[in-house]
Amino acid sequence: MAENGEEKLLAVARHIAKTLGQNDTMADDILQIFSNFDGRFSREKLSEKMVDDNNPRGCAALERALHALDRQISQYVALDHPIWAQTADSSAFLDAIDGLIRTIRDWSPMAADKSVGACLVRADDLMQQAMFRVEDEFRSLMDRGAESFELSRSNHESTGNLSFDSDEDNEENEEGLLNNGADLDHQIPVAQPVTDYDIVIDALPSGTINDLHEIAKRMVVAGFGKECSHVYSTCRREFLEESISRLGLQKLSIDEVQKMPWQELEDEIERWSKAANVALRILFPSERRLCDRVFFGFSSDADLSFMEVCRGSTIQLLNFADAIAIGSRSPERLFKVLDVFETLRDLMPEFDSVFSDQYCLVLRNEAITIWKRLGEAIRGIFMELENLIRRDPAKTAVPGGGLHPITRYVMNYLRAACRSRQTLEQVFDESNVVVPSNKLDDRRASSSSMSVQIAWIMELLESNLEMKSKIYRDSALCSVFMMNNGRYIVQKVKDSELESLLGDDWIRKHTAKVRQYCTNYQRSSWNKILGTLKLDNSSLASNAIAKSMKEKIKSFNSQFEDVCKTQSSWVVFDQQLREELRISVSRLLLPAYRNFMGRLQCIPEVMRNADRLIRYSVEDIEARINELLEGGRK
Amino acid sequence: MPSTEYQGISAPLTNLGRSLLPLRRDQVHSMESPIGGSPSNEVELESFQRQVADRFHDLASVPSDELLSLPWVRKLLDVFLCCQEEFRVILFNNKSQVKKPPMDRLIADYNERTVKALDVCNAIRDGIEQIRQWQKLIEIVLCALGGDSNSSQRSLGEGQFRRARKALIDLAIAMLDEKDSGQAVAHRNRSFGRHNNSSSHSRDPHHRSLGHFRSLSWSVSRTWSAARQLQAIGNNLAVPRGNEVLATNGLAMPIYTMGSVLLFVMWALVAAIPCQDRGLQVHFNVPRQFPWAAPILSLHERILEESKKRDRKNACGLLREIYQMEKCSRLLGELADSVQFPLSEEKEKEVIQRVKELKLVSDAMKEDLEPLEKQVREVFHRIVRSRTEGLDSL
Repeated sequence: MAENGEEKLLAVARHIAKTLGQNDTMADDILQIFSNFDGRFSREKLSEKMVDDNNPRGCAALERALHALDRQISQYVALDHPIWAQTADSSAFLDAIDGLIRTIRDWSPMAADKSVGACLVRADDLMQQAMFRVEDEFRSLMDRGAESFELSRSNHESTGNLSFDSDEDNEENEEGLLNNGADLDHQIPVAQPVTDYDIVIDALPSGTINDLHEIAKRMVVAGFGKECSHVYSTCRREFLEESISRLGLQKLSIDEVQKMPWQELEDEIERWSKAANVALRILFPSERRLCDRVFFGFSSDADLSFMEVCRGSTIQLLNFADAIAIGSRSPERLFKVLDVFETLRDLMPEFDSVFSDQYCLVLRNEAITIWKRLGEAIRGIFMELENLIRRDPAKTAVPGGGLHPITRYVMNYLRAACRSRQTLEQVFDESNVVVPSNKLDDRRASSSSMSVQIAWIMELLESNLEMKSKIYRDSALCSVFMMNNGRYIVQKVKDSELESLLGDDWIRKHTAKVRQYCTNYQRSSWNKILGTLKLDNSSLASNAIAKSMKEKIKSFNSQFEDVCKTQSSWVVFDQQLREELRISVSRLLLPAYRNFMGRLQCIPEVMRNADRLIRYSVEDIEARINELLEGGRK
Repeated sequence: MPSTEYQGISAPLTNLGRSLLPLRRDQVHSMESPIGGSPSNEVELESFQRQVADRFHDLASVPSDELLSLPWVRKLLDVFLCCQEEFRVILFNNKSQVKKPPMDRLIADYNERTVKALDVCNAIRDGIEQIRQWQKLIEIVLCALGGDSNSSQRSLGEGQFRRARKALIDLAIAMLDEKDSGQAVAHRNRSFGRHNNSSSHSRDPHHRSLGHFRSLSWSVSRTWSAARQLQAIGNNLAVPRGNEVLATNGLAMPIYTMGSVLLFVMWALVAAIPCQDRGLQVHFNVPRQFPWAAPILSLHERILEESKKRDRKNACGLLREIYQMEKCSRLLGELADSVQFPLSEEKEKEVIQRVKELKLVSDAMKEDLEPLEKQVREVFHRIVRSRTEGLDSL
């Protein structure tokens, strides 16, 4: 119905123009007046119908339409101030372009007609001029929009609400970076610093975005989408790269990363983590949104432009992570490499969502590759740790059979590593860790790769310690050494995540091992002495007994003296264990000694020389035992 | 992978090349070393030398008009991947040797070189992206002048030519050598931000275009230099001494060979593809007695020759397709500058011909650029893998 009404209206308008217009120009002017008066009388509608109505005059209508469009468009193309400074100007210009687009579209099927063809060449020419001009307008809108954004932003900043990093060093660093680049780089608008990632910044004022969209729409429709996308992505790419460099991230080659002192690299990694978070959580999604709004309705152009904008910065971010993954595998790097791994892992959903289109997919896949490589690097670090443990030479014995530095190092290292247990479980689950499974308990086969890994390291540590214990010539000291280190290991396991990783069985087994070492110690240092106190019940002649007893006490004296002397420099660092050991030695020795003394007192020959022969009372013995294993502290 | 199963018919070895290995064999045998060269090891090492030689002979047999073409560069990368793969197998088969001095040091040296090559790979990836940007401009030209199938069959008007010329000028600036384009970019940057409305709407299209081109930035810092990186890769790359060959059971030889192959391949990539601070002054002191030395040295010489040609001296990359791109677009640009409207039939034919040529170049580029990028990435990944394997086996 409405259309029908419009048809009638247009017919009337055409009739008026035809009858009143004494020549083409006048008719054209009348139509122009109509079209300015009401949107329904657009030039195309009017002229289109005129052609259909009156075919021989059709080309003339096209001529007229073009003429009018030319007048309008040329006027704007020639303007020496921005057309988009005035809304009226810009919308009139856009209307004219729309008219031109429609005219070309409607007439193109008739291009075979020579005069129509000639007109269309003119129309193309006009279109090109209009497009160059809107391209310029587009560019300056982007630049100016970003500038005004920066202005409003510096107000924000002065309130101090949004400070990403107040580190003074960083600011100096940034200055340095800027000075290296073009002097005027600081005028390039950049994203504001933030602490809260859960925001999207509007890189351009909303009005500007609408203007850009209106232009982009025309450019794409007119076949100038490539130019539009090119201008768009060049401007935004610069903005983005500048933003990233303001986050303190340098462009480093792999070689440079390899050569960088570790401490510096640690700082760099921290900066990288922040930058990666800001980029993936704020900057890229904001760019995505901007891009989608500017190229609304043209998803392919939007996707391509977005990829062009983000590619460089993404590669820069990923290259650094890659360099870290490729770098040295010394164990102390574990914790920072874990940071990089975790940062990338936590950003994977962002990579997935922001780089989901066909053009960006390659960036997402790169991110996955590098993330996996970081996992390999972490496994590599553990392998390196294994190697270090396995090859740690037994150079000098720890005095007194005390705690070996490697035990302390490995246990504290593993405890610290366990703080990232979830991540490590993920890392180890992803690979089939090559641990000789036959060496481990079958029970553990069902447990996680991480516990297998840790159990394997513990095993390596123990065998390394056993190798080291061989350096002690005294087998009792050897046991003290194993006991000390075993005890330390069990304790460190018990009060950390390691406990649940290794499991109760492991702890029971190792506690038992420590006990075994205690027994070994007692056996090898005290059994012989105990032997001297052994009374033989044989019915020897009394003088023979006296002689034997005399020998025994002498032997006991000297052996006890020796043991005490040696063992006073030995150490059992754990107080409880030390007490237990002393008690059990006392329990072993004192009754036997008491018994022996009792027997001795029945032998007059001995008692006559009691002062000389009996050097220790039972209490003396107990006192001496209580001085043992203090590590020479007394 | 065409790689590992490659079984070239053994090309005739140069006598000198042969002499190196038998010498070692005699010495090893006379030492009666317990780790002494097993015959299979001998065969393996010799066949490695021969395979490398065969492959480079094949590469060097390229006619001069295909040297440095995209397909050739891709083949070069394939050769590298094959050599690297065989090298990896050799190291794998000699695991026990790898950990011992002086082998460990030689491997560490080689790994040091490969890390540097990784940066070259990344720089080349940037360079490929650069070429892709040029492609975009060419597409605009083709779009304007009817080179793409989508555009109408309408006769060419002034508007189309203006559009094409603008893109061609942008392209010419973009293709200038890095140093020059750096200036153009600096020029552009100077006006960026300090926005001046009136100047930004100056009507001189040439002036405007100059301002528009903003170079794609590299992923490395401004001070990074491909030339220096190449020098670092080749640093101290020396033929192993007799005692080293002995002590490594001959393995020093493939390491040296692989080092040379790496250096040459990276050098050729830098020669072909745009990257930051290209420079080809790397010395190849490969003794001629290696069977692969002749083809590599000959290729090196031919590529150097190419770089000295007058019309290639200032090129941003010796890749044949870049050259054609540059030539076609220059000719088209000259033609576009000279045409008068309405276009004479003769001129129109000429333009169509030139556009067709440009399209051919552009299509060839389009076809091979992505696979090339993937290959460069593959080279990167392989190098990393062989490094990690080396580390893992320690």
